[in-house]
Formats: sequence, C-alpha cells, structure tokens
Amino acid sequence: MAMKALDIYKHLPKTNCKKCGYPTCLAFAMKLAVGKADIEACPDIDPGAKALLGGVTRPPVRAVTIGAGERSVTVGEEFVMFRHEKTFYHPPGIMVEVSDTWPDDEVRSVVAEVREAVVERVGQDLVLNGVAVRNESGDADRFAETVYLAGGGTGLPLVLISDDLPGFEAALAVAGQYRPLIHAATADNWEPLAALAKQYGSPLVVRAGTLADLAALAGNCAGAGVADLLLDPAQGSLQGYIATATAIRRSAIERTEPALGYPIYLDAGTFKDTDAAVAAGILKYAGVIVTPRLSRASREAALTLRQNTYTDPQHPIQVAPGVYPVNDPGREAPVLLTVNFSLTYFTILGYLEASRMPCHLLIVDTEGLSVLTSVAGGKLTETIVADALKKFGVADLVDHRLLIIPGYAAPLTGKIEDATGWRVMVGPRDAADLPEYLEKEWKT
Amino acid sequence: MSENSSDKPAIREVRLGATRAEGGTREVSYVIGGEQGLPFCGNDPGRRLVALEICDDPAIWPPVVRNYVGDLANNPEDWAEAAERRYGADLVRLNFTSAKKRGFDAFAEIASTTERVLAATTRPLIIEGSNDPQVDSEVFRRCGEAGEGERLLLGTAEADRYRSVAAAALAYGHLVIAQSPIDVNLAKQLNILLRETGVPEDRIVIDPYTGALGYGFEYSYSVMERIRLAALAGDGDLAMPMISAPTDTLTIREVREAVPEEQDAMAVAWEFYTAYSAFVAGASIVSVRHPLTVERLKKVLEA
Ligand code: B12
Ligand code: SF4
Repeated sequence: MAMKALDIYKHLPKTNCKKCGYPTCLAFAMKLAVGKADIEACPDIDPGAKALLGGVTRPPVRAVTIGAGERSVTVGEEFVMFRHEKTFYHPPGIMVEVSDTWPDDEVRSVVAEVREAVVERVGQDLVLNGVAVRNESGDADRFAETVYLAGGGTGLPLVLISDDLPGFEAALAVAGQYRPLIHAATADNWEPLAALAKQYGSPLVVRAGTLADLAALAGNCAGAGVADLLLDPAQGSLQGYIATATAIRRSAIERTEPALGYPIYLDAGTFKDTDAAVAAGILKYAGVIVTPRLSRASREAALTLRQNTYTDPQHPIQVAPGVYPVNDPGREAPVLLTVNFSLTYFTILGYLEASRMPCHLLIVDTEGLSVLTSVAGGKLTETIVADALKKFGVADLVDHRLLIIPGYAAPLTGKIEDATGWRVMVGPRDAADLPEYLEKEWKT
Repeated sequence: MSENSSDKPAIREVRLGATRAEGGTREVSYVIGGEQGLPFCGNDPGRRLVALEICDDPAIWPPVVRNYVGDLANNPEDWAEAAERRYGADLVRLNFTSAKKRGFDAFAEIASTTERVLAATTRPLIIEGSNDPQVDSEVFRRCGEAGEGERLLLGTAEADRYRSVAAAALAYGHLVIAQSPIDVNLAKQLNILLRETGVPEDRIVIDPYTGALGYGFEYSYSVMERIRLAALAGDGDLAMPMISAPTDTLTIREVREAVPEEQDAMAVAWEFYTAYSAFVAGASIVSVRHPLTVERLKKVLEA
C-alpha cells in the first residue's frame, strides 16, 4: 500500500538542504506520497531507506514513453481505478496496424491517415498516435522495409510486431533510435528480446495469459535491465480482457505485485468487434491500443470517448470568461450571453462563424457548467451576468443595451433586466437555430 | 475465513415481462440483476439486454432513424415486430411521443396501441410517457391497464413526477424506471421515495440519465460506476439494475451534419460506442434507436 507523507518523512535525512528541488524534506515527502517525485532526487538518503521508499513512492503504474519527438506518447503513470476517484492522466496511444505483406501504397495511405487525421472537439485536436507494423511476410528485410515506409519512427511512434528475432534485428536497425515499442517477449524468447530492447533503450511488451506468468516475465525482463515494459494479457474475449486488465490495475494500485505496475497493451483487431475492443481498452486501463484501420465514424467516436474518459471530472474543459468578438463586430452588433463550458462555447461559435453574423459573445463564469446545468444548479444568475457586463466593459463596445440570452436561460429574463438595466431578448434553445433567429430578430 | 459468495451484497434481481405461466402473454420473461462484482469481472451472470426504441408519432424522431426504417415509422406494430424479428432486439421500448404534443387527449389510442404492440411482440415491453405529470397519470393508467399482468417496465419516474408512474405500476403489477439527473444521491433519494410509495424494490430499475457521447457522457459513465460500487459495498437503496438510454446521441451535431452517405455509419458508431460503454459501466439494459446498433450490440454481447 501507498505510504503517508509523514511516514516517508521519517526516512528522509531531515536536513532541508533543498538539493532535491523542494524547500524542505517534508515538502519532498508530500510529493513522494502522491507519486509525483522521484526518490533519486535526494542524494543524501541512506541506501536502505531508498530501497524501502523506492518501492512505495514510485507511481503505481510506470510511465512509459513510446516514440521520440513531437508525436511521442507517454502512457501509464495512473493512480486510481475509477476516474471519479480523481482522474485518469495519460490517454492510451492508439496505433493503427499495417502489414509487411501489403503493397507499399496501402502502407503509405494508412501512415498518411494516422499522421494527418484530426478530430477537432472543444478546442482540442484529437489524433491517432502511431503505426503498428506487423511482420507477416516471414522476411526480415521486408519487415525492415515496411518499418522504413512507416516513417522509421522519425515522425510517428511505431510498434514492431513479430515473432522472429532476425525480423526485430533488421527493424531495429532502421528504427531503434526512436524508441519503438517491441511486441512481444514471451516465455520462449524473452532473453534475446530483452537484450535487444536494452541495447536500443526501447520499451518492450511482455505477453502471457495469466497474471502469474505476466508478473514472472515482467520481473525477468526488468531484471535483465529493461525498465520500460507493457503487459499484454493475451485474452481471447473482451470479457476476459476487462477482467484481467482490472485485476492488473488493482494489483498495481494496491502495490500487491510490483511486477504488474506497468501499462497494459491491447490488440483490438483480435476480437470480433474492433470498435467494442477499442472502447473497452479506452475505458478499462489500456496504455497502448493496436487496431486495424478505423472508419471515419469509428475514429471520431473512439477519439471522443477517449477525450471524455480522460477529462478531469472535477474540472470540465473551460474557456476564459470575457467578451469575444466573432466575425469582426461593430457597435451595432448583437451581444450574446453564454457560459464558460468549452463544449457550449465551441458549439455556438461553430454556428456563428458559419453564419458570418458579426456579434459580441459574452462568456460568464459558470464554473464550466453548460447552460441548462448551470441554470438548474443556480450557477448562472443575474448577479453573475451584471458583474460580467461591468467587468468586461461591454457597455463601451456597443451603442445599444440589448442582451440575447440562451433559450434555456429564459426563466432569468426579468431578473437579468432588473439587475443590469439591459433589455433581454430570449434566443432559441438550440444553437443551430441561432443564425436564423439573428437574421429575423436582430434589428437595432 | 472462507468467502461465501452468497453473503456478498448483490444487485437485486428484477423480472421483466410475464409468460402465460406467470400471468402474462409473453413467450419469454427476463431476469436482470444478480451481479456480485464489477461488470464483466466475475460474479457477473452476464444478463444484458438490448432494447430498440420505437414511437407512436415519428415527427420528433431522429431523421436518420426515420430514413432507415422508412414506412415502419408510421406503424408501431410493424416497427415493434421488426425490432424483434428482423433486428434482433431483446425487447422494445415504446415511446408515446404523441402524448408530448400540446393539448393531447387521445387516451383511447394509448390503450389500443399498447395492446397492438403487445400482440405484435413476444417479449417484454418498456413504455415511455410524455414528461407531463398530468398527461402521464392518464397515459400510464391506460397503458398500465391494457398491459395488466405483463410486468411492463414503465418510465420515467423522476423526483418531481413519480406518482403517476408509481400508481400505475402498483395498480396493474408493473415495474418502474427511476430517473435522476446524473447524481448518486438523487438516485438514492428517488428509490427511497418510490419505496415509501409502496413500489417493491424488485420492481425498480435505475436510470441515472445518459448524456450523449461528447456531450456529457463521461458524467453518466462515472455515475453508473459509482452507483454500482455503492451497491456492491452494501447500499441496498442503490442495489437495483440500471438502464441507460444514450438516445440523445442521434441528434448531436456530428450525426446530424454527416454527409448523407455516412449518416447511418456515423449514427451507429456514436450510438454503439456509447451503448457498449454503458454496459461496461454496469447497465443491464441499454436502449438505442438505430436498428443496426442493435445487431452489433447483440453480437458483441454473445461473444
Ligand atoms: C452533463 C450534464 C451534467 C454534468 C455537468 C456538465 C457540465 N459541464 O455542464 C453534471 C453531472 C455535473 C450535472 C449536474 C447537474 N445537472 Co445536469 N446535465 C448534463 C447533461 C447530460 C448535458 C449538459 C451538456 O453538456 N449539454 C451540452 C451543452 C452544449 O449545452 P448548453 O450549454 O445548454 O448549450 C446549448 C444551448 O443552451 C444553446 N446555447 C448555448 N449558449 C447559447 C447562447 C445563446 C445566445 C443562445 C441563443 C443559445 C445558446 O446552444 C447549445 C447547443 O444547442 C444535461 C442533459 C442534456 N441533454 O442537456 C443534464 C441536465 C442539464 N442536468 C440537469 C440537472 C437537474 C442537474 C443538477 C441540478 C442535478 C443535481 N445534481 O442536483 C446538477 C446541477 C449542477 C450543480 N450542482 O451545479 C437537468 C436540468 C433539468 C432542467 N430542465 O432544468 C438536465 C436537463 C438532465 C435532466 N433531464 O434531468 N449535469
Ligand atoms: S535533498 Fe533530501 S535531505 Fe535535502 S531537502 Fe531534499 S529530501 Fe531533504
């Protein structure tokens, strides 16, 4: 189990020398307790205490980086079983597979798609992460060639999938310096594979069907000097995957088996329904998901599910309150009221920009709650509106005193008029109807 | 100490529908609940049902579904039959959208539609009213009476309007969907209110409210996990099976604005990801609106 800050503190030198980068030993202990600092940062700790604390203060799931440069992904470093307990931090990397038996063009087209496809949601660009190259040709040179076609690891992170040692040697000669993920070490081949992973400093997947075998393999590879490991629970059914992944995460979080404290690897293509497997991986603890090419519809839904799952439940994605000009508004342009929940802002911004209608968008602070939710929860009030009008100097921007409010905020009409002295116009409920409404109703 | 699984808190078993032997006319009835662990994680009997939603007035139904089902949308009986026979739904959820119209008073139709849909299907039935308590007390009385003994699942009871649903359930032996807005404590309170009204605990299914994927689903997902964890920790007021209806999904922007050739694919992908995630979070019944989503969910659950 995790240790409390005070218990950790007892084992530190208590000199407050600051060499760890923290002002006091206690401050360092507090960071260690939540898995946010590395025991190695204190040079003066005695070796016995270090061994003891090292085990209990590292993050329960090790952080592993795949790839190098801008598009590299770091997974793991998670602290809870359920997102409502705090939050999940590192969304799984989604790697689209190609085979070395495919024609070059097909490989190129998948790689281009992974590189370029972007799903834009609430101000964030959601992307696929990398390419998984499968060695199915039985030919080491062809495997290396395909790895090269896939960018060789210079742009997108790669997963190298093979069961052939010469294949790995050839592929790593091409891509080895860019931290590709190697799949997979099994009971039969772990020694030479661990040696290769160590030589190139690459992360390595270990694959076995039971927790005991996984832990044993991970222990062996770690012992052979490979620090960055992933666990492939090799399950044949989604039910099996969810049950096993849950058990792995639990034993990592509870620190009952240190050799299971690594991110999980899931090959979604081996299940009957790829979308279901991708969803299961996103929801239940996968760090890397390898998948066959996804349709545009599936890709959008999958990336949105991943974004939703990894949003901090305590902090909805928000935009800064203020008054935002849309389509170059003048002094006659309407003022529209909305809330600071990102989803709301980007939804209505989309419709307004498409309509080319100039307006001033006044965003008030509802602590990131949507219109309907903030009205229901009392977070959107006449006082907040009055304060925002004043604070952002809206009266100085326009010559009129008309405020268009969302249809769902209609119950606040009278109160806002009383509190602000502005006249309120109730807009439509659905932002999709906003352009038509402005077209018809907006005349100053 | 040996661990005896029968001592562990479990989700309450709820029987939906009634066969002839049980006092109804269904060819099958279903038991849901009985889990003693997390979804798909052992001590889980795997009782998961997929419902297809249909309605009696398609005017406000998502265009993508209307286009797909064509003429069926104008005839609840045929639609219900297709849901079961052609699309493979475990059960049908009949929405009385007609009752949402202002000034609605065609109550006799409610009874006859209920009878016709029951006759067209062999499996249990879920019925949704209008959201207006005054209209609903009559809607639920009529459909409740028409389906007496069938153990219908009636929805939706909410904190400020649960009496009409509860009354019909009690009078005619039906079950209740208890809906609360994404909040564990409100879900619990509503169950207590229903109990105090006399609705037996094995006739309640919790609906924690499902936001659409990308539009609040993460809150719904987490609240389902929390309800399930509370129940497994022994909170009997939350130990009911859950139903999830990610039905808003088909009206989100991504689906509405998809190019025509991609509309079905987009609708099914978004609905499928949400529905499957709801099962992972602990739902026993998930209701969807696109027929193709039903087929895919059924296949995944069989695997
Ligand atoms: C996710 C969610 C939550 C999340 C909050 C998420 C968030 N960041 O806001 C949580 C779980 C925290 C939550 C809590 C509550 N919720 Co809530 N929630 C939802 C849900 C599912 C989605 C909300 C959402 O994201 N909508 C999407 C955004 C984009 O919508 P929007 O901001 O309203 O913007 C749209 C329009 O308003 C319009 N618009 C926006 N700005 C402008 C500006 C102008 C000028 C115009 C013209 C139009 C316009 O365009 C947008 C797109 O069409 C809704 C159900 C639903 N389908 O809406 C319930 C819902 C809003 N919640 C509800 C309730 C009751 C609550 C609670 C009071 C329950 C409780 N626990 O006590 C609390 C209140 C919060 C608090 N205590 O402060 C009810 C409200 C009932 C009502 N009609 O009043 C709803 C409708 C659910 C229900 N059917 O019961 N909720
Ligand atoms: S480096 Fe070690 S001894 Fe110095 S303040 Fe940090 S924890 Fe204390």
